[in-house]
Amino acid sequence: MTTFRVPGRGRVLHNRPVSFTFDGMTYQGLEGDTVASALIANGVQLMGRSFKYHRPRGPMAAGSEEPNALIGTRRGKGRFEPNTRATVQEIWNGLETNSQNKYPSLKFDVGAINDRAYMLFSAGFYYKTFMWPRSFWDKYYEPFIRAAAGLGVSPSEPDPDNYASRYLHTDVLIIGAGPAGLASARAAATAGLRVTLVDENSEPGGTLLSEPQAQIDGKPAWDWLSAELDALTDLGVRIMTRTTAIGYYHQNMIALCQKLADHQEKPAEGAPRERMWRVRAKQVILAQGALEKPLVFDGNDRPGVMLAGSAQTYLNRYGVRVGNKAVIVTSHDSAWYAAFDLASAGTQIEAIVDTRPTPNADLIKEAAARGITVLPGHTATGTSGRLRIKSVRVNKVENGKVLTARNISCDSLLICGGWTPTLHLFSHTKGSLKWDDESQTFLPDRITEECQIAGAGRGLWGIASALNDGAVMGAAAATALGKSATAQTVTVTDDRPGTGESHTELPTDLDPGKARAFVDYQNDVTAKDLRLAVREGMRSIEHVKRYTTNGMATDQGKMSNINGLNIAADALGKKQPEVGLTTFRPPYTPTSFGAFAGYHKGEHFEVTRKTPIDSWAEENGAVFEPVSLWRRAWYFPKDGEDMDAAVRRECRETRKSLGMFDASTLGKIEVVGPDAVEFMNRMYTNPWTKLAPGRTRYGLLLGDDGFIRDDGVIGRLSDDRFHITTTTGGAARVLNMMEDYLQTEWPDLKVWLTSTTEQWSTIALNGPNARNLIEPFVEGLDISDAAFPHMSIAECTFAGFPARLFRVSFTGELGFEINVPARHGRALWEKLFDAGQKYDICTYGTETMHVLRAEKGFIIVGQDTDGTVTPYDAGAGWAIGKNKPDFVGMRALNRPDLTAEGRKQLVGLLTEDGTSKLEEGAQIVLDPNQPIPMKMVGHVTSSYHSDAAGRPIALALVEGGHGKTGDTVYIPMPDRTIKATITGTTFYDPEGARLKL
Amino acid sequence: MLLVHCPYCDETLPELEFTYGGEAHIARPENPADKTDDEWRDFLFIRTNVKGPHFERWRHAHGCGRFFNAVRDTVSDRFLTTYKADAPRPDLAVLLADASMKEPSK
Amino acid sequence: MTAHVDLNMARTLAKSSAVSVELLPLVARFSLRAGTSEQAALSKALGLALPTKIGQCARKNKLEVLCLGPDEWSILAPEDQAVKITDACEAIYAKAPHSLTEVSDREIAVQITGVKATDLMTIGCPRDLDLLPVGEARRTIFDGVSAVLWRDGADEYRLDLWRSFAPHVISLLETGCTELAAE
Ligand SMILES: [Zn+2]
Repeated sequence: MTTFRVPGRGRVLHNRPVSFTFDGMTYQGLEGDTVASALIANGVQLMGRSFKYHRPRGPMAAGSEEPNALIGTRRGKGRFEPNTRATVQEIWNGLETNSQNKYPSLKFDVGAINDRAYMLFSAGFYYKTFMWPRSFWDKYYEPFIRAAAGLGVSPSEPDPDNYASRYLHTDVLIIGAGPAGLASARAAATAGLRVTLVDENSEPGGTLLSEPQAQIDGKPAWDWLSAELDALTDLGVRIMTRTTAIGYYHQNMIALCQKLADHQEKPAEGAPRERMWRVRAKQVILAQGALEKPLVFDGNDRPGVMLAGSAQTYLNRYGVRVGNKAVIVTSHDSAWYAAFDLASAGTQIEAIVDTRPTPNADLIKEAAARGITVLPGHTATGTSGRLRIKSVRVNKVENGKVLTARNISCDSLLICGGWTPTLHLFSHTKGSLKWDDESQTFLPDRITEECQIAGAGRGLWGIASALNDGAVMGAAAATALGKSATAQTVTVTDDRPGTGESHTELPTDLDPGKARAFVDYQNDVTAKDLRLAVREGMRSIEHVKRYTTNGMATDQGKMSNINGLNIAADALGKKQPEVGLTTFRPPYTPTSFGAFAGYHKGEHFEVTRKTPIDSWAEENGAVFEPVSLWRRAWYFPKDGEDMDAAVRRECRETRKSLGMFDASTLGKIEVVGPDAVEFMNRMYTNPWTKLAPGRTRYGLLLGDDGFIRDDGVIGRLSDDRFHITTTTGGAARVLNMMEDYLQTEWPDLKVWLTSTTEQWSTIALNGPNARNLIEPFVEGLDISDAAFPHMSIAECTFAGFPARLFRVSFTGELGFEINVPARHGRALWEKLFDAGQKYDICTYGTETMHVLRAEKGFIIVGQDTDGTVTPYDAGAGWAIGKNKPDFVGMRALNRPDLTAEGRKQLVGLLTEDGTSKLEEGAQIVLDPNQPIPMKMVGHVTSSYHSDAAGRPIALALVEGGHGKTGDTVYIPMPDRTIKATITGTTFYDPEGARLKL
Repeated sequence: MLLVHCPYCDETLPELEFTYGGEAHIARPENPADKTDDEWRDFLFIRTNVKGPHFERWRHAHGCGRFFNAVRDTVSDRFLTTYKADAPRPDLAVLLADASMKEPSK
Repeated sequence: MTAHVDLNMARTLAKSSAVSVELLPLVARFSLRAGTSEQAALSKALGLALPTKIGQCARKNKLEVLCLGPDEWSILAPEDQAVKITDACEAIYAKAPHSLTEVSDREIAVQITGVKATDLMTIGCPRDLDLLPVGEARRTIFDGVSAVLWRDGADEYRLDLWRSFAPHVISLLETGCTELAAE
């Protein structure tokens, strides 16, 4: 029953039927159809409800500019997508589609009550309706807005599809494969350049697909097209279809979104759904053509009203007549051809209504020859029909006066208000536009990138001018790249160049205040709304846009912007260029989040760095936490332990006997050269000259502003060689900072830095049995306390591996850190774990490491410091070399604000009840009874339950804290206020006796 | 994403390989102890915050690793030039004249 | 989270009709840093002229030296030559001070070969690979990860990756390998 399909016509495959569903009904279409063309072929024009008024709507267009026919598509489980344009979605067997914004059904929708109450939804209703009373916000307004806002329904399941991305470098990128783009590609490729030609449609050709009557160099347009595509392929042109240039960024970086799967019933195994291309082109040619504008009059949105050029596309490209009885209302010549083509295909053309008093004589002659009624100098003033147009009301206009109306019955109304060059991408580049009075539109003016605009994009109309201009621009791009190129000229017959006029709302004899003359179909903005916005004080087009939401829908006003501008300018009594245009922003068409994310989802969400021991931790049940880009073992729960229990046990067992910790993530920098010690003296606060080879020291690194940047234990391997360790998160930053000083401030120093973070796998052993465990593994080194005291370093052989052994402790227990080449990290870990069984060795993670260090008052840079903490604030003044002439940060430590009273200083906190564990980040006050807002004097930086102390402990930064030992402070929490006492920062073994084993 | 010319590699490369390094030509004083508090404050914190051509530092962090200098227009985001860290500060007038010659076709 | 990858065992990681990805055996690696005045002495000690243009390689007796920066070279050698290299450089340290630091375990290498090897590289590398001549290499970035990219042939690449980043990059290359085969 496909009464609207024209046999043999179009580029669809008439012998390949395809069935799909729309709102649960099964329809037949043809391979090559879009959902819209197939539905129209089945006589279905009602495809959606509008956003605000829930008015019935059908497709206005045949391409990506479509504002109305938005559908949901389902391609199997998890593959639901809302707001797909029915005019773009290709059909395949089994595709499920649904209309949106309707309840309970598309034909009967209760939300359409909004249409009756349209006075409530006029311009600025967002700002007016929901103003008061304030108490209504939470209960009524917000839920209402949330329910009403947005188009379609969000998908509710995780997206199972894969997305991809690639970089592409090309000499010339041509956007748009219509006649201008094709000719540009030919010219540039012939010159020997790498050329990429992209088009958002399923096949290249652009206008040629809708105008098969044209003859190019004596060949029918479609024959010429297929020969030309072959020629381009032979020249090595990369042609990409279903590929939208969504954004144009600096220095000719263009983002392309290529759709690979949505048009297929069975996409290839392993193939991504979409691919984002990040293209860098030496030259860009924008050959995007132009978009047709609607005319603005009452009822210009009923299903069956469509742009004339789109009707022509449905007929010529898809072989579908949009109706049986059509009326054309136009202000441009182009719509006449749509009428003629449809008439030839069997549609009854009831009338061609032209707003111009004297349209082109040849067109009038052609219409007369076909027996078509022509009504020049007429206006359209209304339409009738509920779910599809039934008639249009037209009136003659004489001397500015709208005369008596007549109704013409029809099932299709094809409108055309002229054409707007597609300059969205050009607008992304901040290229400027200039108003052209003759074509009543903006044309490109100042170009800021290495870019050319070809064809209709710069106001040239017709296939011949597009082809010839394309060739000129392709050659220009080649010339700009130093190639010699010539532009081939082609001859075109049966071309359809034309002219037209531009309008605000069409004149009417009815009350314009009651007209539902739509400008922005997707956001339901009428001409009246725009005028109201101006009346209510909006002067800037940017304000008019935001007040009315004109052009703010997902189509970004592709159809509405110029009409909106014309009306706003008229209301303001200004010329269009004085009012200006709003800015188009990427993306050109709505783009899936998946395409932006590309590979970065699931396991690839971000880079995850892993240590050589990571796999052992995973196999042994570790729970991990992210630390900068690393994932680190957080704790190792045993037999159903929760985190608290596991951490308590790990702390207890380590202090009691032996704990083992993967410290491989510690940053490591090898400092080598005759000036190594001088460099160390300049970088770190500590003195290094007298540190003997074989010894280590805690190093404190400041910025030149005097604030702590990093810390770590540093060993001197020889006179000219140091082994620096940094914090895990600080490694790259510290190396960058050191390179900066070395390259730009002290290039005369003979010293070089090498990151060795990943050369070494580092295993920390802590606890009274640490030496007992490792002693048998060490070759050629006496590690007794006397021979190898605390803060020693040595190179040795450890379990057969070359190693750097540190005696160091971040726990307060007897401790060693063994560095072995990374490939041996896991093997050594396993050996130690096996041998450690006799000491009840316990593996611990970062949480236990944090607790053990906090019990000793060792700071974590970035947790107990926040970029505003000096060594004195942190109680680490002892780490400053008092006799040094200079080091990074030294001068700043004497600045008045760094020596002022009342700086926040690191202290210990013990809650008075001995059981409450404070929350990290909690604010501290001195007087809990003061009025709100209270004066906050500091905050908790670290807080843990301490097994060793038998109670919770905390570190905090408190104003003047070092002078407040013993004072009581208060930590107000939502449910209660906690009382705590300021203490020193060492909670365990203050004499350090346990280090000396 | 910008393209940046590394004066050490002598290649024009994706911005992803580079990191920004703040304003250029701010040398750390030879003897910080001789500087007044105000002078040290200015060295640490006071920057020109230019709207227009800005002398700034970049590092070819994922490349040759060198810090170098650049002049970039903060309005158009366009580089006027890049030069090695030890090269003298270029004459802005000359750079601007060069740049206007190289602008894309009108 | 990417799956565990054993980086110690050379093997084929992924293979399709389009491209294959191999984990290469470990080799001895050194980072050499030195000023201009020391380059002649170091060239002599190593027995090959240090290349001075960033990205250029010098090769001799299974030694591969890549210039990474104005004062930075990467030396790759069979593992049995490591001691010889260390000793040769140490011998001239006093008169030609420099930094020679072993980084054999810092990095692993992945080889990418096949008709679509270049395409596979474009999923992570933002550079124009047409500008990377065969026989040269560059330090660059691959999907946010610093890497040294070698072009060993028109359809043959090598990526030197820091060990901890390797699982991420390898997994991406595996994904790309499947994706390219499906094209
Ligand atoms: Zn560089």
